[in-house]
Amino acid sequence: MKKTYVIFKLIALAGMILIGCSEDENGPATDNFDRKAMLENWADHIIVPGYESYVSSLGELNAKAETFTTTPTLENLTSLKGAWLNSNLAWQKVAMFEIGKAEAITLINFTNIYPTNTEDLLKTIESGDYDLTSISKQDEQGFPAIEYLIYGVRDTDQAIVDLYAQEMVNHPYKIFLLDLTNRLETLAQSVLDDWKNGYRDTFVNNSGSEATSSVNKLVNDYIFYYEKHLRAGKIGIPAGVFTGTVAPEKVEGYYSGKSKELFMAGLDAMSAFFNGKSPDSNLAVEGEGLKTYLDFVQGINEGEDIGELINAQFDLAKTKAEALNDDFAQQIESDNMLMLEAYDELQKNVINMKVDMLQALNIRVDYVDADGD
Amino acid sequence: MNITTIKNWAVALFSITILTSCGDDDPGIVINEPATYVFERNGESTVSFSGQTTRTLMAEEILSAFKDPTKSQQTIDAMFAHTEGSADFTNADLNVSDKSVRSKTAASSDLFSSNTALSAEIKSDFDSWIAEQVDTVFPNWELEASVGVAGQIQEAGGGSIRYVNGKGLELNQAFNKGLIGALFVDQIVNNYVSTSVLDAGNNVPENNAGVLSEGKSYTNMEHKWDEAYGYAYAKAADETDPNATLGENDSFLYKYIGRVEGDEDFTGIADEIYNAFKLGRAAIVAGDYEVRDVQAEIIREKISTVIAVRAVYYLQQGKAGLEQETVDYASVFHSLSEGLGFVYGLQFTRQPNSESPYFTNAEVNAMMDDLMTRNGFWDVSTTTLDDISNDIAAKFSFTVEEAGS
Repeated sequence: MKKTYVIFKLIALAGMILIGCSEDENGPATDNFDRKAMLENWADHIIVPGYESYVSSLGELNAKAETFTTTPTLENLTSLKGAWLNSNLAWQKVAMFEIGKAEAITLINFTNIYPTNTEDLLKTIESGDYDLTSISKQDEQGFPAIEYLIYGVRDTDQAIVDLYAQEMVNHPYKIFLLDLTNRLETLAQSVLDDWKNGYRDTFVNNSGSEATSSVNKLVNDYIFYYEKHLRAGKIGIPAGVFTGTVAPEKVEGYYSGKSKELFMAGLDAMSAFFNGKSPDSNLAVEGEGLKTYLDFVQGINEGEDIGELINAQFDLAKTKAEALNDDFAQQIESDNMLMLEAYDELQKNVINMKVDMLQALNIRVDYVDADGD
Repeated sequence: MNITTIKNWAVALFSITILTSCGDDDPGIVINEPATYVFERNGESTVSFSGQTTRTLMAEEILSAFKDPTKSQQTIDAMFAHTEGSADFTNADLNVSDKSVRSKTAASSDLFSSNTALSAEIKSDFDSWIAEQVDTVFPNWELEASVGVAGQIQEAGGGSIRYVNGKGLELNQAFNKGLIGALFVDQIVNNYVSTSVLDAGNNVPENNAGVLSEGKSYTNMEHKWDEAYGYAYAKAADETDPNATLGENDSFLYKYIGRVEGDEDFTGIADEIYNAFKLGRAAIVAGDYEVRDVQAEIIREKISTVIAVRAVYYLQQGKAGLEQETVDYASVFHSLSEGLGFVYGLQFTRQPNSESPYFTNAEVNAMMDDLMTRNGFWDVSTTTLDDISNDIAAKFSFTVEEAGS
């Protein structure tokens, strides 16, 4: 009896395998969507202008850091903080484009790793001997490290001003702060230069549909950023989604209390990109982008309206997030349930994009979750 | 679905046919295979593998000691070669045990009972990993590692800190993954599912007659098989149904059966292993040793495959890391250190229906030398990583591509 049953089960399974084979034989659905026009829109109206704004905001950050370190006053500290926030908001609009030069130099890892390792950072400052290009120093530089040095290194703004106003030879805090703001600008400038000196055309002309094409790569980068940085880094990890233990100290903008503003900028940029628009654009109409691509494919396949589904989900996530405290660390401590609810709405679009959208556009996921040990 | 998998299913169907005909030849034998690994006699469980649980817990504590630079070599050596009553572990139950990890390392009946020289050599490899960790890595715990200099190195993005020797090798990974082969796999595939152990002494007539071990609820043969099972599943939340929480709560074989199961090219392997254990045990209860031995061969092939797939996987992960423009050396070293440990474990695998591992000790040593030559992982070439990956895959029914992703 038992054996007969096993054989039956095996035959049934073998049957399923055969069915599986025939499904696989369908092959890629070819479409004649104008991928090149979409790439041009992305490059010329979203990515390059985004980096231009970002680089220019970093110029401002550098100037304010110079002013503050030369003349440490409360007023100059306030305007340095303003420049830090502006440039960080500009960064949120380009962070997802980890392709080309940004990918080669791993821009994101040298720009926005939080929480910053304050213990190591203070040791580094005091030693005065450091190499910011070292991968081991990625959690001691970028926006979070600068934030710590201008918001968190002392308890009050006056104490921070006093720290920078100390009479010292080769003031290590001043030097380090300027090294950090300079490095951000240098890195961003190198990425912008690369786009302007040839990479834009390389990117646009690589308009096929193979795994290494610009569309396939950037769409993967986009979803990876959404999943790992927007969903997990900014919300899921500090809210304890993956460990069951909340970690309010892991929010972005921990020392400035600006976590929500930074998150919303990122979320807006991601939904704007989906609709083929720059987040700074005043245009009401969408450009060529993932939304129009999905509409095009849907016209062929008569499937469900995935583009509308994704936009509706972006709206739901925005609504949930808008209700959160400006400072996510406070939100986690007062009522983490609201953070988890926001996470859940974000998670739904991981499924919509990573599964449904990629299937409709016939793009394969090119990354796997890290091993985790 | 690929051709290899289809081929495997065809083999499985074919084997089942053989099993059926075996049964026809012995109409008296009925195998009652339970839904989960539950075997009882007079309402009392006959399954016991407390020694395997104990050694697994000891091995976990040794791994923790590798990450504690205040530990002395003597302390860690004593944990590895524990003697009854010594206060080597934080878990007091382990201290009173007469079991030790070292005594069962490279200690299987089939490979080492008449090759104690090799057994001693392998044990001393593990001793040397402990010694090097204490002598060269612990003193440099806070130093940045560089070519030829032990120390710490951090993964990208504020990631994990890895502690390596001068060649970029994490000795704790060599020990951990090496032990999966030398203890867990060796004890299963070359010892407890072997006829040399199962059928030793009067085991067969006693099992046939239902003669129990003194003061126990099980026969000797049943117990030997359960000891094999324990090396795979001792840490499962539900020991009778380990695949329900596959890979959790463990740093050894159970964990990596889970990892290979998670690769869609190998999905199903966890059930194949578990079902072979379960059917084999039911066959022992029924006294059907042919069915039992067919299951033993399945266990040998599949568990060996787990080790080989992970070896190739980690070497390929390391290779992919080296091909990045900005090389994250800490991450590469971590992958290659795990890979090296699994490569080491290949000498404890077992080709089904043979007396031989898939790779001999000499072959494994040659691969280790290729990985560790000159400055080790600091300058290992992607060609070397591919060559070793190809050599491993060629002996198994999977491709480098299938294992590597």
